[in-house]
Amino acid sequence: MRVLAFLLLLWISAAATASPPPLETLGIPPQDEAYYRGGVIKCRDGSGKFTRDQLNDDFCDCPDGTDEPGTSACPEAKFYCKNAGHSPITIFSSRVNDGICDCCDGSDEYGSNGTCKNTCWEAGKAAREKLKKKVATYKSGVVIRNQEVEKAKLAIAKDEAELTKLKGEEKILQGLVDKLKEQKRLIEKAEEEERLIKEKEEKRIKEEAEKQAAEENKAPDASQEADSQDTNEKAQEDESKVVEHHDGDITDHDNHSPEGEASVEVPDIKAGTGHDEPPVETSAVPTEEQDHTSVNSEGLSKAELGRLVASRWTGENVDDVGKSDKKGHEDELDLPEPAEEAFEDEHDIPEPVEENYAGYHSEIEDDRHKFEDEELSNVSDDEYVDDHEEPDVSYKSDDDRKGDDHSDLTASGQASWLDKIQQTVQNVLQKFNFFRTPVDLSEAAHVRKEYDDASSKLSKIQSRITSLTDKLKQDFGKEKEFYYFYDQCFEGKEGKYVYKVCPYKKASQVEGHSSTNLGRWDKFEESCRMMHFSNGDKCWNGPDRSLKVRLRCGLSNELNGVDEPSRCEYVAVLSTPAMCVEEKLKELQQKLDAASSDLSGHDEL
Amino acid sequence: WKRDEFRNCNQTPFCKRARTRAPHSLDAPLSLVAGSLAVSPEGSLTAELSHPSRPRPLLLRLSALPPHALRLQIDEDYSANTPPSRRFHVPNVLLPDVDSRALHLSKPKTVGGASTVALSSDLDVVVKHDPFELTVRRAGSGDPVLSFNSHGLFDFEPLQESKPEGDTWEEQFRSHTDTRPRGPQSITFDVSFYGADFVYGLPEHGSTSLALRPTRGPGVEESEPYRLFNLDVFEYLHDSPFGLYGSIPFMIAHGASASSGFFWLNAAEMQIDVLAPGWDSAALMENGRIDTLWMAEAGVVDAFFFVGSEPKDVIKQYISVTGTPSMPQQFAVAYHQCRWNYRDEEDVAGVDAGFDEHDIPYDVLWLDIEHTDGKRYFTWDRSTFPDPEEMQRKIADKGRKMVTIVDPHMKRDSGYHIHEEATAKGYYVKDASGKDYDGWCWPGSSSYPDMLNPEIRDWWADKFSYQNYKGSTPTLYIWNDMNEPSVFNGPEVTMPRDALHNGDVEHRELHNAYGYYFHMATSDGLLKRGEGKDRPFVLSRAFFAGSQRYGAVWTGDNTADWDHLKSSIPMVLTLGLTGMTFSGADVGGFFGNPEPDLLVRWYQVGAFYPFFRGHAHHDTKRREPWLFGERRTALMREAIHMRYSLLPYYYSLFQEASVTGVPVMRPLWLEFPDDKETYNNGEAFMVGPSILAQGIYEEGQKSVSVYLPGTELWYDLRNGSPYKGSVSHKLQVSEDSIPSFQRSGTIVPRKDRFRRSSTQMVNDPYTLVIALNSSGSAEGELYVDDGKTYDYQQGAFIHRRFVFADNKLTSINIAPDSLGKKVYSTECVIERIIVLGLSSGAKKAIIEPGNQEVEIDLGPISLRSGSKSVAPTVRRPNVRVVDDWTIRIA
Repeated sequence: MRVLAFLLLLWISAAATASPPPLETLGIPPQDEAYYRGGVIKCRDGSGKFTRDQLNDDFCDCPDGTDEPGTSACPEAKFYCKNAGHSPITIFSSRVNDGICDCCDGSDEYGSNGTCKNTCWEAGKAAREKLKKKVATYKSGVVIRNQEVEKAKLAIAKDEAELTKLKGEEKILQGLVDKLKEQKRLIEKAEEEERLIKEKEEKRIKEEAEKQAAEENKAPDASQEADSQDTNEKAQEDESKVVEHHDGDITDHDNHSPEGEASVEVPDIKAGTGHDEPPVETSAVPTEEQDHTSVNSEGLSKAELGRLVASRWTGENVDDVGKSDKKGHEDELDLPEPAEEAFEDEHDIPEPVEENYAGYHSEIEDDRHKFEDEELSNVSDDEYVDDHEEPDVSYKSDDDRKGDDHSDLTASGQASWLDKIQQTVQNVLQKFNFFRTPVDLSEAAHVRKEYDDASSKLSKIQSRITSLTDKLKQDFGKEKEFYYFYDQCFEGKEGKYVYKVCPYKKASQVEGHSSTNLGRWDKFEESCRMMHFSNGDKCWNGPDRSLKVRLRCGLSNELNGVDEPSRCEYVAVLSTPAMCVEEKLKELQQKLDAASSDLSGHDEL
Repeated sequence: WKRDEFRNCNQTPFCKRARTRAPHSLDAPLSLVAGSLAVSPEGSLTAELSHPSRPRPLLLRLSALPPHALRLQIDEDYSANTPPSRRFHVPNVLLPDVDSRALHLSKPKTVGGASTVALSSDLDVVVKHDPFELTVRRAGSGDPVLSFNSHGLFDFEPLQESKPEGDTWEEQFRSHTDTRPRGPQSITFDVSFYGADFVYGLPEHGSTSLALRPTRGPGVEESEPYRLFNLDVFEYLHDSPFGLYGSIPFMIAHGASASSGFFWLNAAEMQIDVLAPGWDSAALMENGRIDTLWMAEAGVVDAFFFVGSEPKDVIKQYISVTGTPSMPQQFAVAYHQCRWNYRDEEDVAGVDAGFDEHDIPYDVLWLDIEHTDGKRYFTWDRSTFPDPEEMQRKIADKGRKMVTIVDPHMKRDSGYHIHEEATAKGYYVKDASGKDYDGWCWPGSSSYPDMLNPEIRDWWADKFSYQNYKGSTPTLYIWNDMNEPSVFNGPEVTMPRDALHNGDVEHRELHNAYGYYFHMATSDGLLKRGEGKDRPFVLSRAFFAGSQRYGAVWTGDNTADWDHLKSSIPMVLTLGLTGMTFSGADVGGFFGNPEPDLLVRWYQVGAFYPFFRGHAHHDTKRREPWLFGERRTALMREAIHMRYSLLPYYYSLFQEASVTGVPVMRPLWLEFPDDKETYNNGEAFMVGPSILAQGIYEEGQKSVSVYLPGTELWYDLRNGSPYKGSVSHKLQVSEDSIPSFQRSGTIVPRKDRFRRSSTQMVNDPYTLVIALNSSGSAEGELYVDDGKTYDYQQGAFIHRRFVFADNKLTSINIAPDSLGKKVYSTECVIERIIVLGLSSGAKKAIIEPGNQEVEIDLGPISLRSGSKSVAPTVRRPNVRVVDDWTIRIA
């Protein structure tokens, strides 16, 4: 049967190439054949009409191409090829008889003898196989997706229930905290009054004592003051350490400059040449040459000058031009780095200086990298590590912390802790007697402790509420099929980079220790067929980095096909069961059925 | 643009010196030694120029080159007291037969300290002896055309044998020191053009003005001469006299009564002042004279005076000494798609498919520097281009070609075979101390092959063989960039002037020609590769006089703004006037992201550039023509389609240029030399003799004023509407196209079937668009050959003239039959003849021979949905273009 069908197809195709198909149907799709019956036919755009013998006479009478579906005479015409054994397609009529096979049945090249073989059988078979596979993928995918959708529904319900509950608890706890706060205030007021009385009393005693022995009491006071000053200074010193260290860098940098100049003043053209790479010390201080106004070539070696000038075209960092003028360096330090913004919300760990480095590193590109590493080995090791690990660590710990909160608050004994707190507070409040003087110290401490505990609990609950609200606010798709993306990150490797995409959060490009922010979550586009991350790290002379992730049906979540079609505008593809939609499966199934039935029809022949 | 990184005239000692000198102020001007005047055995006039304080005289030679060109050469006398070195004569620029073409001059007549020599029946030269001055005159009237040293500014600093005690020859610019071991050697002179309203030429400068604006004198605010010094200028200004990538020291003067030209063959840095009337404080006596001051750092006087008298004659005269533009292959005239960079084979396949998906034709896909292995030219980055042959084959299957970039900076890497070889053979340019010059460019530390040396050029040419250039195929062509040469850490981003070339020539002496020799060697390489059968295609950024023989140029790294779009027209027109007809600007603008409307307008303008290529910097967003919404895609497709439909016309114009040098894209005054309105019109342009177009250079422009020259009608290219000539029309701006018109009295051949690339159009039928003039006649030409080889040189081409008169269209063979035995034939027919301005309501036409009758219907001008049927159209005459025939409108 198969063989027979194949032979038949061969025969059909041979017939097709031997003599062109009749003019009255050439290039016309079956559904349009009726339009072309009759003696005088109208141009579709209404611009005129043509007679039947002008149909496909290789002269364009209708500018819209109505009269020449089967020839290349009209630029706007379309040619239909039947492609028996495969799917029919419509091509631009500019492809008709141009010597290139566009239709698998070869019908577009009827003018050139046998240039095009009929490949519809093979192509159709391959397409059907592919379709079959796709249908299979969709079938399994739909099952997974449905499970996820169910899970998501439950989880969202749970989240919502939790949120409601937390909000209730927040209200109660807020009330307690308010009460405790008031209590605390009263206690403190009482204490203050007590203290004032005491002070007055002391003062009186002291004054009396002074009268007796005025000289002796002053010295210890003074030394105490001095002590406290000392501690203050020390603390300040600690704080300014980082800054100072940085200043040190600048000084260091200053020291370098004259050297650089000196080396150029020697009229030796060969200075700094003959090396593929610059001497390491020239780039001891990484700078980002943002200020490209004019090259102060005085301080540069020949190689540095070359790099600097090249960088205008390439837009690459001129990290190698370590000894560029000091002004540029300072400017750079003052500039808030784009990276900074990204880290801000990730908790307050990065110091300004570190941000600079981190941002700087995120800008590094390919072959420059080796210089970087060399350079940075000059900077103290731990600082280097800190700079780089920070973002990721903080990011993770952020998640972890949330996890902690979660377990803390949703612990099984949840109801009891609130009761317990309520109980305790009630007790404490009742127990406290304001009219007792002096204030009972142990009870005052008790109140304070309860207040601290309760307000810390409250802020935990509030932060949990915020994060839950944030989460529930997100667009999880029509059926919440993307709910489970919320706490996930997908990674894919492309060349030397690992790309990390965390839906609803951010995306990054990681190479070794350095991580570049490709964008923060923006939104879904094209009705949830694309994830868009925007406002990533700034590109020199280019846009802020961004990433668009196209979603496709697949059995597992896989990130691949990362590409950068325009500078700093990334694209990627994520296969995920969340995209395996039932309707699409039906559509594909129908298509497959149709393709197969066509074939069985041929089989029967 | 970094103004302070480039020298201005005041920072350039020879320029500053020459420019501050007042007319006739030299203490002892050069004078001609009367007794030395003689006619040499070859027929040239020779003489000595002497100077009281100099031991050696200068030697002068004057020769006449038919038609209507005079050559003046002045060099030192090396026979006695030889200076330690000789001045540089730029080799291999003039056509080899220029010397032998010189006429034998008759003996001069000397009267009262002036000698007169007849150059031809209508021209003579008057040489005044003291001070030396030369004037070319119309013999009959005695009217001067051109003169040399009329303002006594001629100075020639002789080479000195040694540095005088206490003198410094060194020059400093920023951190760079020029050792100048040979001391001062500059040359300055003034040239006057008579009967001139404007002067043109001297590329390359960013300019929105077609005519060269005065650079000195009354009314000039920022006074800076036009600088000719090939430089890689980052983000160049669209309007500035500072030097760019190429230099052609050729100026054309034009006025209502005369056209003339002056060319100084000198490859050293040159600065030229166009002097505003009254610059010399002289009363404005002489009407229509433009004075110019020419200054060069080194070299000799080797100057050509072209006498015209029509502007096209001046171009032809210039071309007669520097050579005709090479005839490009058909594909090269079509659309080119480039970007820095199409990153890998997948990217290439994707862009290629994108054009097909959107039914936009293109012919060539380009790969910039990133395709190489670490910027080592002739290599491939195998991680992104693992199988370049297969990639090219796939592109070639659609009739398309590819271009890769090959720059002159060779990576100094011991693993790079070209570097090893060049080092071993001593083929690199040397620094002042004699070591291989080591500069910085894309690959880092780099050296530059010495392209002045013919042996090295041969060696370079061999690198393009399929065997040497691994991964290249016969459909791969070449792009030469950075050949000014660009040196990132050199003075003014180029090579130090004291670097040394073959024959102890200092770089300062040949700087402006380095890129020319590089272009030449590359072009020769492709010629060799194709065994002399395949016409090379090489695009170069740097150029010099004569570059037209080796390929195309473009206007370098322009910017995506409206000003750069506007200046592209004067820049391309100027290149055309000076021989470089195959030129264009990067469509869309190289730096920055064009607004989508600008991009569309740029395609509409760019589709008329002789060289039509879209290109973009790697920091910019993708801008392939289908990325800006359906409407804009349609507009850009339409612009590109327009170019493809005009390819038969363009190709015929390229053929004309390859014979006469008259450019494809022309200033209006080249076609309408008497119409003063056109003289400084840098917004509109002619394509050949028949089409006029004007760009839209402003965002959101609603109306535009378009001047249509001549007395005859013009027809709108899109809808056939007629417009009167000699009128400035205020037109509504349409989004569909820029204003473009066909001149009545012309016939334009088109091919109106759109294909993937020009390759598939070979057998497509033609459309003739006839625009009748007031006397009911028109004519036009069609040139066709195989589009690829040199067989046309042996007669394998079709060249027809179509003449319409007395209601009859006749096809006449104008191919000379003396060329050779090869034949080109084609079955191509004419499927449609559109006649604009036909008054009769004729319904049929009769074809002779055969007496066959065909219909005439009203048809549209262009085959676009919605086009109105406006013009009588002969339907399917189907006469072959190879045949003689006549079609009579009955």
